[in-house]
Amino acid sequence: MPLIEMKNVSKDYYLGETVVHALRGIDLQIDKKEFVAIWGPSGSGKTTLLNLISAIDEPTTGDLAIAGKDVRSLTDNQKSEHRNETIGFIFQGFNLVPVLSALENVMLPLQIKGASATEARKQALSRLEEVGIGDLINNRPAKMSGGQQQRVSIARALVNNPSLVIADEPTANLDSATAHMIIDLMRELNEKDNITFIFSTHDQRLLDRVKRLVRLEDGKIVNGGAKQ
Amino acid sequence: MMKWIKLAVRNILRNKRRSFVTLLAIGVGFAAISLFHGYVDRVYWGLRVMAIHGEGLGHLRVNKAGWQEKGKLEPEKYMFSKEDTQKIIKLAKEENTVILATPQIQVTGIVTNGIASTIFIAQGVVPKDDKAIKGAWADFLPIKGQTLNDEKLYGVEIAEDLSNYLNLTQDKDGVVMAPTLSGQMNALDIKINGVYNTGSEFSNDKFMRFNFYFAQSLLDTHSAERIVILLKDWQDTERMRTILLTKLKAAGIDCEIRTWEELSLFFAKQKEFLKVMLTFLFSIVLVIVVMTAVNTMGMAILERTREIGTLRALGLKRRGVSLLFALEGALLGFFGSIIGIIVHTCVWAIIKIYPPKYTPPGMAVPIDLVVNMVPWMLFVLLFCFVLFSMFAALIPARRAAKQNIVDSLGHV
Repeated sequence: MPLIEMKNVSKDYYLGETVVHALRGIDLQIDKKEFVAIWGPSGSGKTTLLNLISAIDEPTTGDLAIAGKDVRSLTDNQKSEHRNETIGFIFQGFNLVPVLSALENVMLPLQIKGASATEARKQALSRLEEVGIGDLINNRPAKMSGGQQQRVSIARALVNNPSLVIADEPTANLDSATAHMIIDLMRELNEKDNITFIFSTHDQRLLDRVKRLVRLEDGKIVNGGAKQ
Repeated sequence: MMKWIKLAVRNILRNKRRSFVTLLAIGVGFAAISLFHGYVDRVYWGLRVMAIHGEGLGHLRVNKAGWQEKGKLEPEKYMFSKEDTQKIIKLAKEENTVILATPQIQVTGIVTNGIASTIFIAQGVVPKDDKAIKGAWADFLPIKGQTLNDEKLYGVEIAEDLSNYLNLTQDKDGVVMAPTLSGQMNALDIKINGVYNTGSEFSNDKFMRFNFYFAQSLLDTHSAERIVILLKDWQDTERMRTILLTKLKAAGIDCEIRTWEELSLFFAKQKEFLKVMLTFLFSIVLVIVVMTAVNTMGMAILERTREIGTLRALGLKRRGVSLLFALEGALLGFFGSIIGIIVHTCVWAIIKIYPPKYTPPGMAVPIDLVVNMVPWMLFVLLFCFVLFSMFAALIPARRAAKQNIVDSLGHV
């Protein structure tokens, strides 16, 4: 069973009386352990596609199943639980909570889940060590570099042991050296922990390292939709 | 829960200036209500003491049944005989909570100095019992001269304005005239023992106090109009009314009992007026607090829209977002109330050390402005402010929680 299965999915946005067709007739299957890049020009629908896969948005038409679950049939609370348990998020702007330390930020998904502080702390520390910033656990985001913040963001995405990590332009705000480190880290986690990574990017450095490329243009998959 | 409280506290501290202004607004509002309530509490106390001790109403007044409606028309029929009076006093004094039960009689008539005359309303009281009823009030407005006594039955006390009007000062002689119970005009010589201030400008030019037996002589009767009962604790008033009413009716005495609160119309009106004022003030402050909290939380939510989107993406449910902001609102209410308690205590202490003087409406003399410290009220207010701030935060929080996650994440 594929981890992600999209059949004839489309997504429309309404800007006043204008309809914007962000995605049109998407058919896509992504299996477990894949390392997939969604790429294409600006406005091609990359972020919209990731939003649908991550269950923070709903398709206008078509079927979308994540780990066998029909996303459209879930209530808002069930979607929240699904995101918390199954999906890890890495944002372009890191999206760390500024009033929390690195450790507290990473503990957050576990605490949302209802884990005890001790358990959450233990797992968060382990993930922070894994991404190589075990010595910065008490630092707040404002006292960390972009690369360090993105590592915290990755640790946060992984702390719940998700089967899927969604990253929206994860290296866009990083310099080359840091971007390489982040790519290597993601690749390593993909291979070591068998976590599926799906990310959108323009970054050629990242495209060279992925196992599968899905190219979008004008809301349609023009290449890589079927598994090679 | 602690982690969310910690997060809420840090979020409050995120914009220190805005939070400080909000806390100050809540604190000042809290202090305004609590201080005014403290003042009202003191006024209630003052009015109660004035009614029970100053006006000499005691806690309970026993009259013959029907006296209220028809007593003025047929006084003798609605007065207690000497035997009934003694019986009532004996039965009342059997109760532990009763300090004393004493007969009284009211006389209205004309008082003259031989040249000018005017109307008076006098209470005929037993001197030693009246002294007990007055208690500490006698020190607040002491009598100039001698008090009533049993040695000189015709010695009377006269209210200050009436004394001034007739120039009847201490040791001067006058005459009081009043109709007896059978309707004949009677007149008796008096000597002014002392001059007193009733504390109320409405009664200070009319009131006199006679020895009970002198009043009986003037009315040509051996009866008593009422029995005034003084209790150890005013809070027993209602309970004792029920007990005594049952007891006296069982003993064959057909009577009616009124409480000091029913008899003192001034107290009832003042209490109602102050209650309206307090409610009005509370409503205004409440609106200010709620609007301030809504505004502060609204701004905070607007600034943190992206963060809300992130938390929702990470799996926080809508209810969780609402609760997080409600918690922040509640904490604003709590810390604001703590500031309010501090402001209240400081102002209370300053007023206690340097009490300003003022003459309240209806009073004949200036008194100290005193604010009572009412701890239970501070707790009630704290609870209310926390609750209202929390609900105020819930209004924008619910809106934020319902926002589309994609829109929230894209918010700049």
